[in-house]
Amino acid sequence: MNQLQGTGPVRQAQSVRVVIVDDHAIFRSGLKADLDASIQVVGEGATVEQAIAVIARERPDVVLLDVHLPGGLGGGGREVIAGSAAILGTTRFLALSVSDAAEDVVAVIRAGARGYVTKTISGAEITDAVFRVAGGDAVFSPRLAGFVLDAFGTAPADIADDELDKLSARELEVMRLIARGYSYKEVAKELFISIKTVETHVSAVLRKLQLSSRHELTKWAAERRLL
Amino acid sequence: MTTALTRPPLVRSTDRVIAGVCSGLAAHLGWPVKSVRIGMALATLAGGAGLAFYAWLWIMVPTADENARRNARRPASPIAPAVSLAPATAPASHLPGQAPAAPGWGLPDAGAAAPAGADSSGAAVPPAPGYGTGARPPWFKGGGVRYGKEIMLGAGLLLVAGIMIAQILGVDVPLGTLIPAAAVLGGAAIAWMQLDENRRAGLLDKTKADQAGGWGRLAAGLALVVAGVLVMVSGSGSWEQTWLALLASVAVLGGVVLVLLPWALKFWRDLESERAGRIRETERAEIAAHLHDSVLQTLALIQRRAANEHDVVRLARAQERELRGWLFQDPGKEAGQLSDRIKAAAAEVEDALGNAVDVVSVGDTAMTEAHEALVQASREAMLNASRHGGGTVSVYLEVADGGADVFVKDRGPGFDLSDVPEDRMGVRESIIGRMKRHGGTASIASTPDGTEVRLGLPARRPENAARHTDNAEGKS
Repeated sequence: MNQLQGTGPVRQAQSVRVVIVDDHAIFRSGLKADLDASIQVVGEGATVEQAIAVIARERPDVVLLDVHLPGGLGGGGREVIAGSAAILGTTRFLALSVSDAAEDVVAVIRAGARGYVTKTISGAEITDAVFRVAGGDAVFSPRLAGFVLDAFGTAPADIADDELDKLSARELEVMRLIARGYSYKEVAKELFISIKTVETHVSAVLRKLQLSSRHELTKWAAERRLL
Repeated sequence: MTTALTRPPLVRSTDRVIAGVCSGLAAHLGWPVKSVRIGMALATLAGGAGLAFYAWLWIMVPTADENARRNARRPASPIAPAVSLAPATAPASHLPGQAPAAPGWGLPDAGAAAPAGADSSGAAVPPAPGYGTGARPPWFKGGGVRYGKEIMLGAGLLLVAGIMIAQILGVDVPLGTLIPAAAVLGGAAIAWMQLDENRRAGLLDKTKADQAGGWGRLAAGLALVVAGVLVMVSGSGSWEQTWLALLASVAVLGGVVLVLLPWALKFWRDLESERAGRIRETERAEIAAHLHDSVLQTLALIQRRAANEHDVVRLARAQERELRGWLFQDPGKEAGQLSDRIKAAAAEVEDALGNAVDVVSVGDTAMTEAHEALVQASREAMLNASRHGGGTVSVYLEVADGGADVFVKDRGPGFDLSDVPEDRMGVRESIIGRMKRHGGTASIASTPDGTEVRLGLPARRPENAARHTDNAEGKS
């Protein structure tokens, strides 16, 4: 599986503390076994309440968060992020889901997750994604890039960068390449820019996805039940 | 029911001039449509009998659609509706010419395994084991009652005709008594039929349209009864007395309604909640049946093939695809569009070669001949990528105002187009040549880290459409 596009070496020296939130115990233990030794799993949660409690107690670097969770008010992963708003600056959330439904993915990203990957991802890829998110970058799978292109449209913004409802020409290029299956490194090579610049563009897109007040975005996500 | 089985059921045909009565009747009786129509027209000249007959059939005979819906209402294998509702998703599971690596180890063929609901006429086909006990086929229960109604109505009409003939012949018929009595009887019959329907509604599924019709019938029945009683009563006294009596009866009736209303409302609510529960139960049965037919089968296959990692992955991917299609299918979306076709091609390649093919699509468009070529070229590119690239193949489809673009990327060792022998048709003919013939572009970028095939099809200009029709498609 090659759905996660962060194959570049972004390993840090220190280990990353992670909390896994998923209501399936089998998946949690499988994920724990798959993760690299440099990732330290400090807690687990199966429901919204458990997750909020364990995240507040452990203050991990990264939370691997299932989109669909029992408990709480029925908001799932979105509610966990909302309940951990106080530490959103230091703890980062990476959404994991079996669902490809745009409304789920967009909801959890807009709540504050730094990326989204599907559960069929390999152990090496998820390890890489965890480090990337811990380093403050956004993790975009080709599918998420496709969602973004679909939601924002494929025409570039007239006034670059400042507009929240449109992507700049460069951001569009980056999103297109990611949707085509390029890794960050390959995107950088293709566009003759540095990996750091690619990461900047991706983070900018993530910010637009989170902050855009364009009501079409929500409407689009609700209408578009599947990709 | 035996006659119904030997000849096609009497339904209103879709091949219609007015309401499809004549062609339906012709199909049922095995007569030519033209003669039935002429006969009906001639009968209309004879005092409007044909018109009355036509109207009667129009009201009494269901359309072919309604009939099929009625018969298909039991929760047959859910794959059958899934297949018939969305033909676009069907090719994914069984494609011609795709022999699985191990024969007989493909997914259960949805089309063959599932008895199509419409085909299973009569109770001869047993419901598949494990489900289908929730609802019994409506026609099985309701048949006798329905025909009884028609016979009653026919007998009534005959009686009326007989009385009219008798009167014409000079026999003195006490019409003053007979008509109100008939009205009362008829109204009561209609209202009772309604009651019967209501009770059946507790067991069977009913649509809103049926309900509206039911209310109409109830109102008609009540009106008939009231009118009949009024005429009967007014025959024996003056109109003044009648009005007084009417007022008194209305007052009493109002009181009774007031008393009974809470009870009736409660009864109605119970009925509604029961109906909702029944719908939920049907849905649950459908989901259970689907899981049984697809997921459990695949899980069983996976257990038996556990040693072969390749087969397990392939089965799991195929099942995942099928289940996603079933769960997340957007009913509002038009099927058979470009993205569906690309996804179907990807599924086909995935099944054939076992490597995952991930499709991301942005935008969509209806298919044209040129798009068909694009799909075929994409399929060829996916096959190459899966065969030579080895790992996951990424496919990206973007449809915008400027046209449609497809990118197929693999992470294989790459190749040089000039190294490919001249006689190999794959890349040169099926991908590049095909795209060029349809006014599109194709390029291949290959590096040691992987290969990407880029296909572009500009938005169609009308004059191009005719020029680029070629018949070289068969070559590939």
